[in-house]
Amino acid sequence: MWVKVKAVIWLHTLRLWRYGMSFINMILSQVLWILLFIMGVLLFVPPEHLTVALRMAYWTIAAWSVISSFSSLVGGWTSFFILMGMVEEHLLRNTSPFTTIIGRVLTGTTVSFAIMIAMGYAFSWIFGRVLMTVERPPLILMAFALLIVESLSYALSISATSMRTSISEQFLEILNFGIIGLLIIPVSVLPEYARLIYLAIPYVAPTYMIKVSVGGESPILMREAALISVIESILMAFIALRLIRSVEEHIRRKGVRAVGFW
Amino acid sequence: MGLWTLLKSGLVLDIYFFKNNRAQLVSMFAWPYILLALMLGMGFLFGSAETFKSNVGVEADPVVFFVASTLIAMASLSVMWEVGGTVLYHRWIGTLPYVLIAPYRTSITLVMSYIPRYLLWSFMQLSEFVPVLIWREGLVGGLADTLVMGLAIVIGMLPLLGFAAIFGSFLLTIKEETNVLSWLNPIILILSGAFYPAYLFPIWARFLSMLLPTTYTFELARLSSLVGAPKLAEMTFLIAVLLGMSFLYNALSFTLMGKAEKRALKSGAV
Repeated sequence: MWVKVKAVIWLHTLRLWRYGMSFINMILSQVLWILLFIMGVLLFVPPEHLTVALRMAYWTIAAWSVISSFSSLVGGWTSFFILMGMVEEHLLRNTSPFTTIIGRVLTGTTVSFAIMIAMGYAFSWIFGRVLMTVERPPLILMAFALLIVESLSYALSISATSMRTSISEQFLEILNFGIIGLLIIPVSVLPEYARLIYLAIPYVAPTYMIKVSVGGESPILMREAALISVIESILMAFIALRLIRSVEEHIRRKGVRAVGFW
Repeated sequence: MGLWTLLKSGLVLDIYFFKNNRAQLVSMFAWPYILLALMLGMGFLFGSAETFKSNVGVEADPVVFFVASTLIAMASLSVMWEVGGTVLYHRWIGTLPYVLIAPYRTSITLVMSYIPRYLLWSFMQLSEFVPVLIWREGLVGGLADTLVMGLAIVIGMLPLLGFAAIFGSFLLTIKEETNVLSWLNPIILILSGAFYPAYLFPIWARFLSMLLPTTYTFELARLSSLVGAPKLAEMTFLIAVLLGMSFLYNALSFTLMGKAEKRALKSGAV
């Protein structure tokens, strides 16, 4: 088992190194697209609220970049993996193709944190505001860890589904983009009865914890958010693993679909 | 093969593309609204329409402003990807040699087969915004705004086609072309003042934005967002600049594309 894990880590590290230009391009283009979008939003913001608005937007987009990177770099990569004929190669060697796909967590984490850092420096420089300060470091680390578990679970679920049936990439992109709109809403603007329902939406609770840790939200629902995040992460991971098992059994008997993700 | 055949091939390709890829059709309609909703939603969450007017420096309706911006951003992106990026697509699927040896120059083939797609897609996206424009400006005002935006789509296309073909010729001569295309597009949109007017930029950025045809297309389309009738003199000026740029960029693309073709054939890049 350790040999397989070592091979998977080596593969993804090597790929990350060899596709250096793609890596830089991905970070650069994502930061620029976000900048384009943020500039439009800032037209509405009065100068005295600029720092607060920028900090809220920055940390929300930082959380979103984890979700988005995992869904495209883990889930989306499956399409390439299938087209290269790698699923069959793995099955012939009695290795689960998902071992290699799970290894993409390395790429997803590297890319999303690189985007976060590049975006933080770029925005701080352009808008002349300090955005990357954190009030509660342990809390933000925990929130990002939970967000990674949720994002990876979602990515593995769509990866497994795409081996049985095609998935429309366009709809996934729309869903992916729409998540920012969901994450940006401050809990404080919602009526009290709707707050817990809102936190129960996947990704929302860990993002709320991130906002609390940087002082962007009041910590009134911290305990509830932590509990929801942990339960949701376990549940999503469980669903992803069950799905992987059932898809693996299916593809061993009937073969993989030639085209995933479209 | 006449020019009409090239135009017709572009149109037929698109119709079948939509017919066989429904998800793409639905997503084409959904994207502009998602972008607009997010931009306005976040804007109103952090600020107000009054602040918007004071920051922009003109009496403009923020909803119409961003409808115009979204529409032109989508259209410009489409031109850059479809004309510039088609070179890459043809290279990947192995059809670039056929495009290069076709009776027409590559730039003409790329541009002519793309025009129907551009017009079809852009006007479909404009038509989906008509209800929003009528809601904001009333029936007459909304239809007038639609006309101004339609004009911006058509006139703005002319220089942009040449500009994108120059881009395509540049892509023919370099390595790591996808990596260049994906970050150059947002830079062009930012400098064109896609969602943040170029006249609010620092001087160096304003100078760069003046060289881009998209800057004037955005300005032309956004004249529709001004409260009251858009000024005719300003509109005429922007149309004249865009027509002048059409001549310049298309002449340049005609020359540069030929050189890039020769270079690509010589270096074996095709």
